[in-house]
Amino acid sequence: MKNLWITGAVSLTALFLSGGCQRIPPVSFNQQVRPILNERCVNCHGGIRRQGDLSLLFRQEALAAAESGERAIVPFEPALSELIRRVAHTDPARRMPKEDAPLTPEEIQTLQTWIEQGAPWEDHWAYVAPARPSLPDVSDPEWVRDPIDHFVLAQLDQMGLTPQSEAACPVLVRRVALDLTGLPPAPEDVQQVCKDTDRSYEDYVDSLLSSPAYGERWAAMWLDLARYADSKGYEKDIGRTIWLYRDWVIQAFNGDMPFDRFTIEQLAGDLLPDATESQLIATAFHRNTMTNTEGGTDDEEFRTAAVIDRVNTTWEVWQGTSFACVQCHGHPYDPFVHEEYYEFFAFFNSTADRDLDSEYPTLPLFEEEVDTEGRELTREIARLEEAIIARVRSDELAAERRVWETTLDAPEVIGQVRLMLQNEVKRVVATLESERGDAQRWTLDYVYAGLSDDPVIVRLREEKAEKERALRALNPIQTPIMRELPFQRRTHVLERGSFLLKGEVVVPDTPDALPAMPEDAPRNRLGMAEWLVSGRNPLTARVMVNRFWEQLFGTGLVESLEDFGTQGLERSHPELLDYLAVRFVEDHDWRMKSLLRAMVLSATYRQSSQVTGELLQKDPRNRYLARGPRFRLSAEQIRDQALQVSGLLSSRMYGPSVMPPQPDGLWKNPYDSRRWQTSEGEDRYRRAIYTYWRRTVPYPSMATFDSPSREFCVSRRIRTNTPLQALVSLNDPVFMEAAQGLARRMQKHAAPIPAGYTYALGTPPNGETLDVLTGLYTDALAHYTEGAGDAARLTGDSGSAELAALTMVANAILNLDQFLMKE
Amino acid sequence: MNLAKEARDAYLGHVTRRHFLKSAGAGLGALAFASLGAGSAGLPDAHSPRGPHFAPRARRVIFLHMAGGPSPLELFDYKPELARLHGQDCPESLLEGKRFAFIRGIPKMLGPQAAFQQHGESGAWISNHMPHLGQVADKIAFLKAMHTDEFNHAPAQLLVHSGSPRLGRPSMGSWVTYGLGTENENLPAFVVLLSGGAAPDAGASVYGSGFLPTVYQGVQCRTKGDPVLFLGDPDGVPRSLRRRSIDAINAINRQQHEEVGDPEILTRIAQYEMAFRMQTSVPDAMEIRREPAYIHEMYGTEPGETAFSNNCLLARRLVERGVRFVQLFHWGWDSHGAGESEALNGGFLERCQETDRPVAALLNDLEQRGLLEETLVIWGGEFGRTPMLENRSGSDNPFVGRDHHSDVYTMWMAGGGIKGGITHGETDEIGYSAVSGRVHVHDLQATILHVLGFDHERLTYPFQGRDFRLTDVHGQVVREVLA
Repeated sequence: MKNLWITGAVSLTALFLSGGCQRIPPVSFNQQVRPILNERCVNCHGGIRRQGDLSLLFRQEALAAAESGERAIVPFEPALSELIRRVAHTDPARRMPKEDAPLTPEEIQTLQTWIEQGAPWEDHWAYVAPARPSLPDVSDPEWVRDPIDHFVLAQLDQMGLTPQSEAACPVLVRRVALDLTGLPPAPEDVQQVCKDTDRSYEDYVDSLLSSPAYGERWAAMWLDLARYADSKGYEKDIGRTIWLYRDWVIQAFNGDMPFDRFTIEQLAGDLLPDATESQLIATAFHRNTMTNTEGGTDDEEFRTAAVIDRVNTTWEVWQGTSFACVQCHGHPYDPFVHEEYYEFFAFFNSTADRDLDSEYPTLPLFEEEVDTEGRELTREIARLEEAIIARVRSDELAAERRVWETTLDAPEVIGQVRLMLQNEVKRVVATLESERGDAQRWTLDYVYAGLSDDPVIVRLREEKAEKERALRALNPIQTPIMRELPFQRRTHVLERGSFLLKGEVVVPDTPDALPAMPEDAPRNRLGMAEWLVSGRNPLTARVMVNRFWEQLFGTGLVESLEDFGTQGLERSHPELLDYLAVRFVEDHDWRMKSLLRAMVLSATYRQSSQVTGELLQKDPRNRYLARGPRFRLSAEQIRDQALQVSGLLSSRMYGPSVMPPQPDGLWKNPYDSRRWQTSEGEDRYRRAIYTYWRRTVPYPSMATFDSPSREFCVSRRIRTNTPLQALVSLNDPVFMEAAQGLARRMQKHAAPIPAGYTYALGTPPNGETLDVLTGLYTDALAHYTEGAGDAARLTGDSGSAELAALTMVANAILNLDQFLMKE
Repeated sequence: MNLAKEARDAYLGHVTRRHFLKSAGAGLGALAFASLGAGSAGLPDAHSPRGPHFAPRARRVIFLHMAGGPSPLELFDYKPELARLHGQDCPESLLEGKRFAFIRGIPKMLGPQAAFQQHGESGAWISNHMPHLGQVADKIAFLKAMHTDEFNHAPAQLLVHSGSPRLGRPSMGSWVTYGLGTENENLPAFVVLLSGGAAPDAGASVYGSGFLPTVYQGVQCRTKGDPVLFLGDPDGVPRSLRRRSIDAINAINRQQHEEVGDPEILTRIAQYEMAFRMQTSVPDAMEIRREPAYIHEMYGTEPGETAFSNNCLLARRLVERGVRFVQLFHWGWDSHGAGESEALNGGFLERCQETDRPVAALLNDLEQRGLLEETLVIWGGEFGRTPMLENRSGSDNPFVGRDHHSDVYTMWMAGGGIKGGITHGETDEIGYSAVSGRVHVHDLQATILHVLGFDHERLTYPFQGRDFRLTDVHGQVVREVLA
């Protein structure tokens, strides 16, 4: 059944085209027909519900006889097509859509013509590999700086819009600095690029791309996708040591690791020949799934939940596809069937992790002086584990083992098994021996290894425990990583995603709607990762270039970053999307810096973000880019920028996450006594990406600015504009400290207010702005001169009225719309 | 697509700049969405209330979540037969195919650890641990055969509040504010109050906005420290100067708007004004000291502390001021018996004492102010507890407790749209399974939305290509409890 939708669509189309007698222009299935079917029909006649045994998802199904014996669609014969008869029926009781508004006469005509033309089916554009489009003609070739501009301008020409002029240099410099490094430019940089002729915008862009801050900024985007956090989630939400992965991402961006390698290392670094430590750390990408350490949870239940999350995340990140739908049933409108979900699930189902509190398997890394010793111990432990398992499976113990297994249902025996494993063991025992899979046998081996009183096992176990103690004493950094089991877990189709409701057995595979894996490719995570970046996959490059576009321009070329399926939003510039995707793979060799460089050098990017009432009317959301981007900075950028302009920001990179000040009393998880330990010294002022990210209690000021909890993959942060945000940037002690820092910087200048404004925005204020800020300063100074107590409370030192008044001015500058926005 | 829908979509697209409105069904949203503020300047105000699908019976919700899973067998589900079976081995037939969090092997039955009495005209059985609640029994509709799919705290709490045991869905309060907006733009529309010494097991996600914009997430208000984070002016900044500085910020922002024309700037100006007003209105709402002595007496408040009684009084003050959804969490009902604090003859009794009086007071107080008829009050936990003794610690353990139980438990509703003095659903002789009137968590959610004027199947939000709703693909309104 799953191959039904691979149809003879192409040959039928050809047949119809060669007919040669058509006068009516051909109806486009994707543009005209599918929207009608998706909007009005597939809810009841689609992947979930197949009322009357009719599905309009795949051509073959749509053409087949339904329950009534009628055929909904008979190609070339609208008169015989039940679909037409029913949508045009005059009796509302028989008309389709049932109990809903009828189709419009135009819609019915479209369907009729389409059937007359043979009812050709087309694949959704996203499932067809992009081809490099030719550059369209434009009205003003002079304006073009990059091929990107061809596509944008051609669209504007068609709409009768003209691009904005280039943004003022300081505005552009600030924009590109924030975009590429997440930090505002130093006032000197603005000076140099805007006044000095020898340092061009292009050179400046290159210097930003090679700045270490670049990696920190772009890693922030990726970590939302990777659902990276410093805690395990759920009830206790205890800490997880996985920051080496965060550092890996920063380094990968800074080293401009090509996206194909970036993909392979994260999804399957452990399966690469002679995997390096760095490649193993990369696989922590999929160890960012949550672990439920709540008492009395079933490990297998949450192991399954983690695997499901890996599948969904992989599809969202690389394929922009809401694969999660297929977990429970066939996709409601995209060409994926239920079994295919679990075939893909099978790629991830044989890793050794299993919702254990220990986070096993981990990669231990040691301080330099104990590195040799640590590695030796690690090898020893692995060797002992092998020896134990070999002994467990040896013929000598086989008989004893068999007897032991029969006693496992007894409460006093099962009571010895770790609580978390008991349910699993019960399930194994309840399974006929001949029916048991490798994983189940392995579970018993594991339990037996832990309980057996065979003297050899006891000795090996003790030896291993000793080595483990020695290893722990060395205090290694244990990063959770992916490791394949020595066997494949049996994968079943799961009903509604429940680990208890097992259906048929499936083997690892990719869905049929997309180009198949090469015959000789390994059917494992490595083969799957290579398939994603093979260049033949129609989605990966498109999805990725769209992410970068959205980061720079505020809206993706496909606005629904997470959904390129048939229900995703229309592309604003279809050809540009394909062009960028092809260029990313073929010209840039998957290098993200080159792609970004091209985007920020384009004339499109450099436009001023000023907007007239007329343009606002025509293109309120700036989808067509007749002006430059203007939108609020991200949570990370807002923090980093405030610290940077106040001179407080630490440039220290990497390492364990830090705990900058947050209000007391926020951490109160049940059965967990950990407290927020405010960092000291420089660590109070690190970039936001190093802030400790606890899933159930996110850092409040960042959460207020729309950062996600990182409990699951998020493609798009929805930007809001709320009073709670104003409270953060006005009152949060971190922002007040930034205001004080900026005030101290301002104090050193002869004209402190223009200086403060310049630190913040790269350019001095205009007359009006200066007047307003000066007025604020004067009033604040009057207050603080009278009330010295307030000055001391505000500045925390001498009680200088000037400094206090400047702090108020700085606080105002840090709250200006311009400052919070990228213009 | 009809013209009205087209016009609305065009408008919404304009207002929000976002995908999720592509086909924001249900005919609501427009006004509520404006509270995103994104480019909404000049358009109808952000927080103005919205029209529901049909006439609502209640306009506000107070949800008293007793986190941890309070035992119905010691509160509302009177089981004399269980007392008779006390100490006997649990028949194996009751254990077959069941999954428990902690019980292993054959547990003993545990008789009710409370005496029961009938109350009010309805004759509702309520245990002696809840004497005050007994006095308001006739206002209450008990749902005695609630059931859920989850038997671990975090997933079960997520299911109650977001309709899914996994993360990522909006919480009930978010759905309701997304649908109805707020009636007081100087207060958050969805307020969360915590007590009992711990946060909910699933963290902020149980009052998070999931894929809805964060503007719909619950705002935690606290009785210690700033009532809303960062609400207080910094030390040394008097109100007058804060006013002066917001004037300066807004003046420059207005200039900026004239220059670049982005309507988002006007929204920001409005939000700074609202922030300034909230700095007064929130502390005012949260200051319970000014309540008269008889009110404090009635609730048994402890001003200045973090207490459930204070939160009940606050809930009344907040709904009185037009807050749409007040979510209380009182942690500590996880009565396993593994230690004193979590024993039926320990912490459980304290929880009863802490909550009995204030909950009764809340119902009475709402009623005497004429608020009860338009406020829906819900009481309950995330699951129930087994009629069997859980005895992890062995026979000499002086504490008794019960394990998590998902098949049956009690919740109750009162107030707007609810028929008081009734019991819906019945359990078997030992309170282990439902006999009649089963109500799933999704049914409860459908009922709550119904009372608020929503068809739960039509309060949807498009995300990742499909319309999501609180009740997932389930939910039946429990008509038996409707007034």
